[in-house]
Order: sequence, then C-alpha cells, then structure tokens
Amino acid sequence: MAELKLVGARKSFGPVDVLHGIDLEVKNGEFVVFVGPSGCGKSTLLRVIAGLETVSDGDIFIDGTRVTDVPASDRGLAMVFQSYALYPHMSVRKNMAFALENMGLKPAEIEARVSRAGTMLRLTDYLERKPKALSGGQRQRVAIGRAIVRDPKIFLFDEPLSNLDAELRVATRKELAALHAELGGTMIYVTHDQVEAMTLADRIVVLRAGRIEQIGSPLTLYNSPSNVFVAGFIGSPRMNLLPAKVRSDDGVLRLMLGESELALDRPVSGLKAGAALTLGARPEHIAIVSDGGDLNLSIDLVEQLGGETFVYASTPGLPQITLRQDGQTRLKRGDTVAIRFAPGQLHLFDEAGTALASPSA
Amino acid sequence: MTELPSVAVQEGGGLRRQALAATGQVIGRSVGRLVGFAMGLVDRPMKAIQRAIGAKRMPYVFLLPNFVFFGLFVFLPIAINVVFSVTGGTALFPSQRPFAGLDQYAYLFDCGSFLDPNSCREDHFWRGVANTAKFVVFQVTAMVLLSLLTAVILNMKIRGRGFFRAVYFFPVLLSPVVVALIWKWILQRDGLLNAAITTFGGQKILFFVDPGWAMFWAVFVSIWAHMGLYTLILLAGLQAIPSDLYEAAQMDATPRWRVFRRITLPLLWPNMIVVIVLSLIKGVQTFDEVFVLTGGGPGTATLMVVQYIYETAFSNQVQNFGLAAAASVVLGIVLFVLTLLQLAVTRQKER
Repeated sequence: MAELKLVGARKSFGPVDVLHGIDLEVKNGEFVVFVGPSGCGKSTLLRVIAGLETVSDGDIFIDGTRVTDVPASDRGLAMVFQSYALYPHMSVRKNMAFALENMGLKPAEIEARVSRAGTMLRLTDYLERKPKALSGGQRQRVAIGRAIVRDPKIFLFDEPLSNLDAELRVATRKELAALHAELGGTMIYVTHDQVEAMTLADRIVVLRAGRIEQIGSPLTLYNSPSNVFVAGFIGSPRMNLLPAKVRSDDGVLRLMLGESELALDRPVSGLKAGAALTLGARPEHIAIVSDGGDLNLSIDLVEQLGGETFVYASTPGLPQITLRQDGQTRLKRGDTVAIRFAPGQLHLFDEAGTALASPSA
Repeated sequence: MTELPSVAVQEGGGLRRQALAATGQVIGRSVGRLVGFAMGLVDRPMKAIQRAIGAKRMPYVFLLPNFVFFGLFVFLPIAINVVFSVTGGTALFPSQRPFAGLDQYAYLFDCGSFLDPNSCREDHFWRGVANTAKFVVFQVTAMVLLSLLTAVILNMKIRGRGFFRAVYFFPVLLSPVVVALIWKWILQRDGLLNAAITTFGGQKILFFVDPGWAMFWAVFVSIWAHMGLYTLILLAGLQAIPSDLYEAAQMDATPRWRVFRRITLPLLWPNMIVVIVLSLIKGVQTFDEVFVLTGGGPGTATLMVVQYIYETAFSNQVQNFGLAAAASVVLGIVLFVLTLLQLAVTRQKER
C-alpha cells in the first residue's frame, strides 16, 4: 500500500502533447479510476505512473519518494494489462511465480503466495495449464493473480475488462470490488466505461485531451459536474444538455429554451440578459405532467426495460430529450407529452461550459 | 475541434480508395473474363474425365501434373542413383553396367577404424566426412550464435536500423561462387588482406596453404554468405513476440539476462529450430563456395563429401559413377535422418 503524487506531469511524443501538466494525489488504499474518451491520455498517464513511459516534465512521488527517474522494474508497482500479457510458454503457476523468483523469494514462500492467490481467484484447478488453454475470464484472473502475489505498493489496471463479454465484465467488476475490499491496496484503474468508473471508484479522475476535467467521488461527479464535459460523460443515459438564453424580466431571471420560456427556480448571480447558457437535466429529473409543463414534446421512441422506461422526445429548436420513468408506461411514439423539470435539480453551464449552478451547490 | 480535419482526411482517403477499388474492379473483370475463357477450354475434357472415373477420384487428376514433374526430376533421379550405386564399371548407361550388389558400399565402408580416414580404402571419402563434420560443427554453432546476436541487435531501436537490416541480408542475394571469388581475391597470397597486413608491418600469411586457416576461412565465408537469411528468420521471430510481454517482465522487475533466457529464447525457440536444422542440412551439403575458395585444399584439408562425390563421378580420370552414387545414397540417408530429427524436435516443442 502506498500513496502516489503527481506534480505537473507532462508527456509529449514528439510535437504531440498527450498530457498537459497533471497534478494528482492518490491516498493510501484508495481506488482511483481514470476515465475519459479514447485518446484522452488516460492510458499514457497510467504508463507514466508505471514507469513504462518517462515524463517529459514534472515529478512523480510514491510514498513521498521521488521516482520520476526510477525505472519501472524498481518502482514496486504491479500492472494488469489490457491484453493480460501472460507469458504464453509458462503455466499459470509459473506466470504467477515469475516475479517472485525475480524478487529472490524462497520456493516455499513462492508456493504459499501462489496457492493463496490461486484460491482467492478460483484458479487452483488450472495452475498447471498454459494460458492458451484458459478462457478469457480465467486469463484475466491469472493476470490479476500475477499482480496480487507480488504484494505491490500500487496496483495498476489498464482497461482490464475490455476484452471480456458483457456478462463476464459485470461479474469480474464485482469481483474486483470485492478484491479491493479484501486486499485494501491502493489501486489505479483505467477505463473508458463510465459504469465501471462509477461502480468501482472511491474517486474518479475524468480526463479529456490530456487534462483533468474533474476529480471527485462518483456521486459528486454525478450530482455536481464542474463542466459540460463531465456532465455529459458521467451518467447513462447521459444528461440532457439544452442550449438556453437568459431573459431578464422585471428583475426575475427567465431562460429561453427553444421557443418556450422557463422561470429559474432559484437566483443565480452574475447572469446577464442575453447570455447564452447550457441547461443540464438528468433524465430522471424530468417528469411528465398532465398540465402546467415547462415544455411540450412529441415522443420519438420508447424503450421499455420493465423496471424502468426511457422516453426519447423532441420539440423544434431543441436537441432530443431523454426522460426516465419508473416502471412501465403506455406512452408510444407520436404521443405528445408535457414535461416539467424537477425543481432544484437543474444544472447551468456558461458559454465556456463551466458549471454556474449545481443542485447541491 | 480537432476531429474535423481527421474526418476530412478520412474522406479524402475514402475517395482514393474508391478510385483504386474501381480500377481494381476493371482489372479484375478483364482477368476474370480471360480466366473464364481458359477454364471453358478445359471444362469439356475435365467433365469427360470426371464422368469416366467419378468425382471421388478427380483430386488425383489434379495432382497428376505436379506429380509427373516431381517424379521426373526428383524420384526418377533418386531411383537411377540407387541403380548406379549397385553397379560397377565405367559405362554411362545402366543397361551396360554389370551388377555389383553392395560392393560399392562395402568398398566405401572398408575401414580399419572409422575415426581414422587413413585406415580406410577410400580415404578421400572419409576425409570428406571428417572435414564436413568439423565444418558443420563450427559453422552451425557460430552461425546460430552470430545470427541470434545480430537479430537481437537489429531488433533494438538503433539508428540506421533499416540500412543494417538490408546490409546483413545482401550477401544472401549473391551467388555462392561470386562470394567465394570475392573472398579468394581478399585472402589469396597477394590479396587485399595480406596487403593490409604488410602495410601495418606484419608478415604475409598464406591462408590457403595452412590447413587450419583454410578451414577457418571456409567456415567464415560460408557464415558471411548465409547468415543474413538466418538472421532474417530470427528477426521475424523476435518481432512476433508481443512487446507487452516485455513490459510485463519489466513490471515484474526481471533482470535483462533473465528476460532473454526465460522469455525471448523460449518464444524464439521454433525459429531457432528452423535455423539450426536448415543450417545443419545446408552445412552437410556444402560444396560450391568452399570448392571455389580452397579447391578442397591444401591437400584434402577442406575436402567436403559433396566435392568428393563430384570428383569421383565427373572430374577424376576414371569416372567412377557407381562409387559416387553409393556415397550420394549414404549422404542422402544422413540428410533424411536430420530432417526426421527436425520434425521430431518441432513436434516435441509444440506439445
């Protein structure tokens, strides 16, 4: 277990800047997830921490010791690769024992650690098999086992679930969470899947184009995204982001939303008449009402999932709006419905995309 | 937004691809028509044959042309060679040659001790066997180690890598005779190397007069000429090893030598087997470059088995086809055993 600190970490490949000065602290025993769209630099950031890439500028500290120039092999970290990177010519047992042999441990100690990890990961029956004789999920567990036996300072995971099918991914996700609870190690996990990020993380780091957009607990990010990007990235289905304009009317702030007008439910300071804004509303914060709605929409599509229903509806001048309804509904394509935004649950972002107001702010 | 230009580029590429595809379709159609016409010509006779013998036997009809050529130029010569090896005399046509049974083999193997060529009646053959064995041991060992080393270096991120990869392969493209002539020009009494040695105040070395030097240069030139091919095979093997395995090994804090021994070598092993066996087989067959370089000399110091066979059959005053054929059969058996060995080892490794 260890703490990690990055100070102004930059990385460029030739003229291309991949990381623009990352500042980050990871606490002892914390599970931190890097999430972001492909090409955002999250994997590069992980490799920089691992030592597989060097930083172009900035510093990395593990437990307060500067490791910026320490090679990967001497940082005492373990990594689970996206491709698993198991040694194909070695049995599962050998794969897990390899690093321990490098550490110069006694055979008895190696055997004990391997069998403990084998039991924990349900691999006991497969220890003598070669990786190619294993299923994808088993290979994944071997890769994790190879990291566990070393008792590393920090576990690094590079999109470890992306090669598994959907069902196995959910199962393995739960196992990972249980594993973290059991081992309590510091873990850093890279994924492009925001559901994995939400379910696993103590804290999420949202990255875009080599910059940190926001760091926070899953619910902080969900409830108070600091900008439009995070608002749109976290949550599924994604938050409705609607263009709006401020209209000042007798000292009361009103928003022009498409062709309709919406009274602001609470005062927001610094809004000028005529300013362009983005209004954010989660699908569950929009209700269908019989009268007195904020907007009238025509339904494009209804997705019935049994326990919940997603309604996709639109009105001229606005992007399609997603609504989440509990239970089942009789609404169908072509119906017109009136909707009302839940009071106190709206997000406002200025023209640059920065949050002006969040429900909990 | 940064996405826009890349989309535009993709569209540009798409247009070019479409144009290429259109050209390809035109060419494809014309070739298709031509092939169709040709197929139409053979269609009728083939259908007639199929009616006569049934569809089940048709594969043999398709195999026939290849089999005829293979038989004519491989199996038939082998058979004729075996016939020659059990006959005697100097006549060229088998029908005029008296049957001699296994006399030729008995003559070849008439030795006081197989370890001492001088104790054999056909001492040149055994001299050739001993020389070839010595040559193969040194050449294959050095070849495998050197080409492995070269491949590992060429697989690193070094400056001018493409240039060096090409340079190491160039000798493979030369005819062995040309290679031998070049090196003869360098190594002969008044050659380039001796000129360099005397310039630096040394004494001329008569490389082709000293048996040890002659064998050394025979091995050296042969390695120089063929190493590129084996380096290429090993380089391909090295490049097929996924780089994330090396990263995993790095994360596992594996010392460099251990990475090489426990990861690179085992994963390269199939290619190593190919290289070892190929160079073994080619080593046993060595003739042309050594023959041109040293002529088998000094004396019989670099005389190889194949050269013995060639001289016995064609260049001696008495052309002894029978004895040469018997020696060829013996050599053939050795090569056959080596090939079986290769197959056995490869299968062993696969399991």
